[in-house]
Amino acid sequence: MNPAVVEQLRKIAGRDAVLDRPEDLMLYEYDAGIRKSTPGAVVFPQTTNQVSQIMRLASSAQVPVVARGAGTGLSGGAISREGGIVVAFSRMNRILEIDVENQRAVVQPGVVNLQLSEHVSHLGLYFAPDPSSQKACTIGGNVAENSGGPHTLMYGVTVNHVTGVEVVMPSGEVVHFGGKAAESYGYDMTGFFVGSEGTIGITTAITVKLLRKPEKVATLLAIFETVDDAGQTVSAITAAGITPAALEMLDGWTLRTIEAYCHAGYPLDAGAVLLIELDGLRESVEEHAEAVQAVCLQQKAREVRRAKTEEERALLWKGRKTAFGALGRVSPSYYTQDGVVPRSKIPATLAHIGEVSKKYDLIIGNIFHAGDGNLHPLILFDIRFPDQLERALAASKDILEYCIAVGGSITGEHGVGMEKRDLMPVLFTQEDLDVMAGLRNAFNSENLLNPDKLLPTPRMCREIFGAARNPVLVQEGM
Amino acid sequence: MSTATTTRFGAELRAICGAANVVDDPALLRGRQVLGVVPSTVVTPASADEAAAVLRVANENGLSVVPAGGFTAQNMGRKPAQVDVLLSTSRLRELEHYDAADLTIGVGAGWTVADLAAKVAADNLFFPGDPALPERATVGGLLATGFCGPHRQGYGGLRDYCIGIRFVTGDGHKAKGGGRVVKNVAGYDMMKLLIGSYGTLGVITSASFKLFPAPRQTRTFIAEFPGAAEAFQFRNQVLRSPLDPICLELVSPGARQLLHGFGSDGPWLVLLRAAGSDPVLARYRAELGSAVARELEGINEREAWRALSNFSHTVEERCPQSLLLSLQLPLREVGPILQQLATVSASLKHAVIGRFGAGHLLVALWQPSGSTVQAKAFADAIAGLRHRLPIDASIAVLSCPPEVRADIAWIATPTHVESMRVVKKVLDPNDTLNHGRFLF
Amino acid sequence: MDSPRGRIYQMVQVDEGRLALSDSFVTHIDRCLGCMNCMTACPSGVPYASLLERARWQIEENYPRPWLGRKLRQHFYAKVLPSFSRLGRHAKLVRFYQRSGLQSLARGTGMLQLLGVAELDALAPRIESDFSFRHLGEVFPAEGTRRGRVALLIGCVGSVAFAELNRATVRVLTKNGIDVHIPKAQSCCGALHLHGGHLEMARVLARQNIDAMLSPEFDAIVTNAAGCGSVMKEYAALLEDDAKYAHRAMQFVAKARDINEYLAGVGLVEPKRKLSQRVTYADPCHLAHAQGIRKAPRELLKAIGAELVEMPRPDTCCGSAGVYNVVQNELSMKILDEKMGYVASVSPQILATANVGCMLQFKAGMKRKGINTRVAHVVELLDEAY
Repeated sequence: MNPAVVEQLRKIAGRDAVLDRPEDLMLYEYDAGIRKSTPGAVVFPQTTNQVSQIMRLASSAQVPVVARGAGTGLSGGAISREGGIVVAFSRMNRILEIDVENQRAVVQPGVVNLQLSEHVSHLGLYFAPDPSSQKACTIGGNVAENSGGPHTLMYGVTVNHVTGVEVVMPSGEVVHFGGKAAESYGYDMTGFFVGSEGTIGITTAITVKLLRKPEKVATLLAIFETVDDAGQTVSAITAAGITPAALEMLDGWTLRTIEAYCHAGYPLDAGAVLLIELDGLRESVEEHAEAVQAVCLQQKAREVRRAKTEEERALLWKGRKTAFGALGRVSPSYYTQDGVVPRSKIPATLAHIGEVSKKYDLIIGNIFHAGDGNLHPLILFDIRFPDQLERALAASKDILEYCIAVGGSITGEHGVGMEKRDLMPVLFTQEDLDVMAGLRNAFNSENLLNPDKLLPTPRMCREIFGAARNPVLVQEGM
Repeated sequence: MSTATTTRFGAELRAICGAANVVDDPALLRGRQVLGVVPSTVVTPASADEAAAVLRVANENGLSVVPAGGFTAQNMGRKPAQVDVLLSTSRLRELEHYDAADLTIGVGAGWTVADLAAKVAADNLFFPGDPALPERATVGGLLATGFCGPHRQGYGGLRDYCIGIRFVTGDGHKAKGGGRVVKNVAGYDMMKLLIGSYGTLGVITSASFKLFPAPRQTRTFIAEFPGAAEAFQFRNQVLRSPLDPICLELVSPGARQLLHGFGSDGPWLVLLRAAGSDPVLARYRAELGSAVARELEGINEREAWRALSNFSHTVEERCPQSLLLSLQLPLREVGPILQQLATVSASLKHAVIGRFGAGHLLVALWQPSGSTVQAKAFADAIAGLRHRLPIDASIAVLSCPPEVRADIAWIATPTHVESMRVVKKVLDPNDTLNHGRFLF
Repeated sequence: MDSPRGRIYQMVQVDEGRLALSDSFVTHIDRCLGCMNCMTACPSGVPYASLLERARWQIEENYPRPWLGRKLRQHFYAKVLPSFSRLGRHAKLVRFYQRSGLQSLARGTGMLQLLGVAELDALAPRIESDFSFRHLGEVFPAEGTRRGRVALLIGCVGSVAFAELNRATVRVLTKNGIDVHIPKAQSCCGALHLHGGHLEMARVLARQNIDAMLSPEFDAIVTNAAGCGSVMKEYAALLEDDAKYAHRAMQFVAKARDINEYLAGVGLVEPKRKLSQRVTYADPCHLAHAQGIRKAPRELLKAIGAELVEMPRPDTCCGSAGVYNVVQNELSMKILDEKMGYVASVSPQILATANVGCMLQFKAGMKRKGINTRVAHVVELLDEAY
């Protein structure tokens, strides 16, 4: 990185707010996915004005800018692919306002997701989007990737909970979209901005909805002999007219791995379980809990357990939410996907994943948001062996293509990032992508904001399926 | 552009859509006026491809295009200078996908909302979109206007349950956003841009929606209050309670006069609609207590909600000289603004309904019978409202007397207008669509 | 700018030779509180504490620290801490240093930081004038029906700085029918050595304590210091390659108990007085994260009639973290201020905790905030109830 730019960054944000030594930069070369690329400098702004000045500097110096929250993303969204400046938001982590009457909070992007819920818990409120990384991930990152979580089934992804954003545009101009009202007239720029993966602007303040905590929560664990039975049950529950708050599936292999860590009482000999949560008014929760139990038993569940205490419930969720991490116990690396299929296609898709596992000779665990058909096949491999990586990438591509073929999508909540952009042309036509690129180019004309993310470059289009055969991509930019 | 010039393109348009689907006989066009402007041609493409070809012709030749569905919301916006092509979506009737087990459906933009609702109701599913005149209002029009009715309270807005959209840009490119699955973050969220864009960014050709299980039984509890303040207090009580009504609707005394079946006058009403089994409804009864004056069920209940959904149409029909505003407010602002309506519109009568638990109000203002329309009174009322509301409240005018049409600000929004202009420039670079009618 | 994830990544890079044992690495490792909150959170079971110890050991072995500071560190870790008589003499010097006004001069001018001896200053809280070393070797018999017999680790720093707490511990135990032995040959638990990167010295101390306190006559080996307790429970890992001591270390670990854990386990006898005050409890990291003890102290407080209110995030570090509050003073104070905000949000009459380091830090926090809510160890409150 040009030392003059680094010096400017120090002038803007403070001497202790810029990193440029290689040993420090290497800490910003990764996220929770499998790709790496080292930035040229990392800056930690403390104010919107500083972000604006950084943008101006980057534009005039023609240096790429990538915003970063906690680096828990799985698609490479926060990795600076082309060198350049990483704008890290860990010092913009204040909750600016809690507005109980309007059921809104205004937060800086560096606020950790779970901290907001903890902060308003005594008011009986919470922030609904609950990615599994919610203990660490930031709301700014959630906005960029339009993150979801288990409770997305009932409550929607991040965009359904953001009503306003303050955005710094590439010119450095600070603009506002929306506000505290649930919707605003004019084009819904807020909705468009959420999930734009840092390619339109960088948000510096976010207005989010705070929901009232439900009066009653019931958490059920339905145990099945086979993955197929569990898959059939998902549709049967919704067919019974019930929308659970969350409906998660874990296959037997994954269960056993998690249980070794969290001791939640997951059955070790099951083929699969469904973790089902119902919330709302006491009377309707009780009714639905009984109905769900009946449906599960009809669908050949061996047993349906219900968490009796808050501790039991927390433990069941701890197992689910830390599942990815728990796999670290059995495999040096894993690659997870985020495909989505229509609910009715879940059993067939799981069968296909089973075949993929055999075909590529890799263990694939399944733990996912079954209620909305959002799969997270966890492909285990050892990154130290290039052929394993290659097989993992190929298996993953195979699964995603299947998802698309049955009418689904390549990402339900992780974002496209640098990881899946090469599959975008399978999901969208060139014309669709041109329209999206037109929008990106209009806001981000020099392609300095998170370059080469979300949309394929023309060059990449030609190489659509070449990527998986190119192990170099794991250490990009180094 | 004269009719003669348009006719020059008639051949091209006929080649695209077939002769039967291009109408340029003035005698037949009079019935399709847009704010008094007779279109030169009405074109009815049968597919997104045809619609794209029509728009390419229009875009290349500088023709102005107004997309139209069921003609239930064309009273909005400024009067267009001319309408070269009225692009009707009525033949976009494809059923793209539907599997009851997936709780999703994808339909062409020309489907009426009533047809869509009936289609899924057969499988005990529910589509929560509830515009006025659902038998005429189309899915495309519903999305383009971003209209929300009473079910906004319990099911969210279109931005929450529209999961995919296909559209044609002003310069004739087919594009899409989202897809068929309920959870999908691949690519830019084009649904958000198109919903509520009033046909200025593209012609919506089809869309996919998340569906909901149909409630097995519902009940409507009606509470009466002497004033807006008490009704607002009741709302806050409901919002703080564990109750989760599917509708929570405010009806002002003025609105009762306009609506069918709400008595001709009387106190403020709040209608709370709950779904659930007997024990659930019993719980509502217990929580709401003595506030509830009476309950509605069955046909009476359905009629009441139908009347509320139709409010905007009823206002236009019974009070054609009225100004109809739609307000999106932060929750706290609803109470104060209701109390101030009398002062901001001292010389006007007013009627208000709205899903006020979600911050959405419809306000009709009209002059007492006998007096002539005074544009200033309306302009003052809007300015007064604007002045009393915080910057992040937004206002849209849904209809107004012709006398004030030219001078009105159609949309007031907290969102950065220049950014919206950037979007418009990309998707409709030559101002082909609804030119000059709304913001741009 | 710091996270366990980043530190582990750096450790891996050092290991792979991509990163030198540089200032950056040392700074990040030095900045770690060692609170082990990350281990509680970690689903993969990454043994962060031992990775950290290993990194610190590598730094001590290979990274040149300022000379005077290094000499003093070596002297302190190798000579003063292990020897209770030296510690006594040292404490007298420290008392002189504190009273003479030299302390405020040195702290005020930042001289200590400059010399690299700031840690030593931090290790010397206000020294209470009476020491409990003289009780070494004594036995305090149970009152009433005898329900158990324990060996008490009086701790090195604790024994000079918090003599009164040790006395309270003895009183609470004996009033609850427990014989309390204070074995004479016990030494420092080794926590400071282990966390400071002096592994070998830590092993020497561990062996010394096993010899002194592992005996069939004791039901448990008890400490009132969370840091000591967590290290005592690590003895088995520390000595796993020691053929002679590995097995005995396991037996030792099986008997090691924090005072809260022990008392909650045997159950309290009916207290004489009820503590009818609003109390909030701050989990010490070395109790909650290192030992997983969260319920016991809360149960004890409730048992003596406290009205327990939970603050938000009770188990985040207060920033004390051994010597952290001095070596990383600025960061430590940031962490403290945040924590004090949580405390203030529930407006307690008493802030209870179960570790002396945290108590000191909280007292400093109260001063910074200008409030005088009482800060007390759970054992102190129990003592007052009997």
